Amino acid sequence: MISQTGMTRRRVAGLAFAGAAGLALPWGIRRGIAAEPIKIGMPLALTGPLGSVGQQLKRGGEAWAKVQNAEGGLLGRQIQLLIEDTAGNPADCVRKAQEMVERDGCNIFTGITLSSEALAVVPKLDEWNAIFVSSDNGDGKLTAGALVPNFFRANISAPMGARAVSLYLRQSKFEKFYAIGMDYAWGHSSVGVFESEIKHANKNLVGSVFSPIGTKDFSTYITKIREAGADALYIVMAGDDFNAFLGQAAQYQLPEKVQMLTEQMELSLLRAVGDAALGLVGSTRYCFTLDNPKNRAFVALWQKEHNTVPDTFEGEQWQALQVLAAGIEKAKSTDTAQLRAALETVAIDDIKGPVAMRKCDHQAVQGGFMVKAVKQEGTAHPVPEIIATYPGDKTTPPCNKETFED
Amino acid sequence: MGGQSGQPVTLLAFFVTQSLNALSQAALLFFLGVGLTLIFGIMRIVNFAHGTFYMLGAFIGYTAERVTGSFWISLLVAPFAVGLVGALFELGILRRLYRRDASAFLMVTFGLALVLGEVIRLAWGPDALQVETPPALSGIVLLAGEPFPVYRLFLPGAGTLVALALWQFLERTRLGLLIRATSQNAEMVHALGTDVNLVRSAVFGIGCGLAGIGGVMAAPLVTASIGMAATVIIDAFVIVIIGGMGSFLGSLIAAVLVAFVQVFGEYYLPDLALAFMYLIMLLVLVVRPGGLLGKEA
Repeated sequence: MISQTGMTRRRVAGLAFAGAAGLALPWGIRRGIAAEPIKIGMPLALTGPLGSVGQQLKRGGEAWAKVQNAEGGLLGRQIQLLIEDTAGNPADCVRKAQEMVERDGCNIFTGITLSSEALAVVPKLDEWNAIFVSSDNGDGKLTAGALVPNFFRANISAPMGARAVSLYLRQSKFEKFYAIGMDYAWGHSSVGVFESEIKHANKNLVGSVFSPIGTKDFSTYITKIREAGADALYIVMAGDDFNAFLGQAAQYQLPEKVQMLTEQMELSLLRAVGDAALGLVGSTRYCFTLDNPKNRAFVALWQKEHNTVPDTFEGEQWQALQVLAAGIEKAKSTDTAQLRAALETVAIDDIKGPVAMRKCDHQAVQGGFMVKAVKQEGTAHPVPEIIATYPGDKTTPPCNKETFED
Repeated sequence: MGGQSGQPVTLLAFFVTQSLNALSQAALLFFLGVGLTLIFGIMRIVNFAHGTFYMLGAFIGYTAERVTGSFWISLLVAPFAVGLVGALFELGILRRLYRRDASAFLMVTFGLALVLGEVIRLAWGPDALQVETPPALSGIVLLAGEPFPVYRLFLPGAGTLVALALWQFLERTRLGLLIRATSQNAEMVHALGTDVNLVRSAVFGIGCGLAGIGGVMAAPLVTASIGMAATVIIDAFVIVIIGGMGSFLGSLIAAVLVAFVQVFGEYYLPDLALAFMYLIMLLVLVVRPGGLLGKEA
C-alpha cells in the first residue's frame, strides 16, 4: 500500500522533473489527476466460530482488488478495500460499517459474513445511502420480507442451496429426514425451506434441532439424530461448528446409519476433518472443479498466488465483486442511485457461468451445484466432485419468496 | 445405508452413553478450570489468556503429532511447551506487576490473549487443522448396543489420572508444599528463605500447562482452530466461579456438574441449552457467594 507521504513525494518529484525528464511527465500527470479510489467496505467476521468463512471472504476480496488495480482499476480509479473484524457480532458489524461510511465516505459494502449481521445492516443502508452486494449471506428473508432497495445478493442463498439438495433427493430412495442447523438466521432459513421441499416431495421430516453458534460438543445432538431413525440428515453449518460436528459424527459412526447431506460444502471443511467427510453429499455455492474457461483461469491465478485451489467463499466473493464491477462500469459511476439502477439488471458470465441480477428482488439467478466428497489420488483430504448441476430457473425461488411452489 | 435404521435406542443405552458423554466433557472442562483456579488461588491473578493457552496446546499438539507421528508424544510435548510459555510470561512480565492492583493483571493477561492469538494465527494460518484420533483410541465400543467412541472413554480416564497426579503433587512433594504455603502466606514463605517468585513462575507454568493438556485432548474432537479460545474461556470462568475461586476439588465438582447439565439440558430442552450453565452459576452465587467450596463467602 502506498502511504500518503510517498504519494505526495512522488507527485512533487514528478512535477519537479516534468520539464527535464520526459519519463517523469506521464508519472506526474497520472498520479496528479488520479481520482479518489473506489472504497469498498468489508466488515468481516475474521475471528470467532465463523472466522474461517470471514478469512476466505477477505482473501477473495484481496485477490480481486489486486487484479483490478493491476489492470488500472475501475473507471480509472483504484480499488481500496476497507477490511475490519466484527467477530461475527451483528452490533459490531453495524458499528464498523457506520464508521466506514462516516470516516471514509464509503458507500459500497460486501463480504458481511453472517446473515444475522446482514439483517442488522440492511435497515441502515438507506440512511447511509450505501449499496450492499452480499457475497455470502444465506437467509432467504434478505431478498424477500427484509428486502431493501440498496441490497443485492450475488451469492447462492440458503433457499437455493436447500432447493438443489431437495431436487437431488427427489430421485433418491431416502424417505425419512432429520435436520440440524446452526441456531441463527441462516440455519433457520435453510431448514425451513428444506422442510417445505420435503413436504412437496411427499417425504417425511422426522425432526430438527438447532445448535448454538460455537457449540463444541455435539454428542447430545448426535444421540438425538440416532434416536430419530432417519435415513438422511440435512446439515446447515459452517466454520468451526461444522468441522467439530462432522468429526464427532464420524467418531460415533453416524454416517454408517444415515446419509449426510449439507446445504453448503466448502474445502476448508474437507481439509479440517479429512476422511470423516468422505461420502458427504451437498450443494456448494462455488467449487474449484467447475469446468468453464473463466473458472479455469481463476483457479490458475489463485494457484499462482496462494499455491492452493480457491475455496467456496473465495469464489463467491470474487463473483460478487465481478457483479459489482459490471454494475459500476454500466453506471459509469459509483453514485449510489446510479449504481443501484445499473445493478438491478446486471448480467455477467463468470466463474460459475451465467449470473443475472433479478430486478424484482435483487437476487442473482445462477446455477445450482451438487457435490460429493470423494478421495482423490495425490490429495491428502477428500475433494468435492460435481455430481449434478441445475439451471438457475430451477433453483431460484419465485420473486420475493423464500420457498418454492412445486 | 439407512436400511436397518429406526431401531429404538433403549433407555439404559441412552443414560449410559449420555453420562459418558458428560464425563468426557467434564474432563476437558476440568483441565481448563483447574489451571485457572490454581493460578487464581495462589497468585490472585485472573488469567484472561487461559483460553488462548488452551488453543496454543491444540496447535502445538497438532505440529508435534505431525512431526513425530505420535499423539502420545504430542500429549507430553504440548503441555510442557505451553507451560514453558506461561512460565516465561510470568518471569518476563507478570513479575514486574505484583505491586500493582488486580486490574493490571486483567489488562496484561487480556493483552496477552490478543497477542498470543494473533501469533498463533500467523504461525499456523487461519484455517482449522485436523488432528487425528490416535489409532489405539479411534475405534468404537458397543455400550448396550450403541456405538461409543473409545476416545471419549479415554478422556475421563485421563482426567482422573491428571486430577490424582495433581493432588498427590500438591500434597506429597516439596514444591507442592511450597505452593500451598505460598497461597496461605507468601511473606512467611519468603521470610523462611524460599524464592517465592520461583514458586509463582512454577504455578503459572503448571496452570497454563494444564490448559495445554486440555487443548491437545480436545483437538481430535473439535480440530485445532483459531476460534477455540474465545468459546472456552467463558466455560472455564463459570467452572471456577461455581467451584470456588482457588478450590482444586471445587473445580472438579463444578466441571462434572456443568458437563452433566449441558449434555442433558441440550437433550431435553435444546432451546435453553446455553442458559442452564449460567442458571447453575446464578444459583450457586446466591446460595454460596464464594462458590461451592470457596473460602471467601
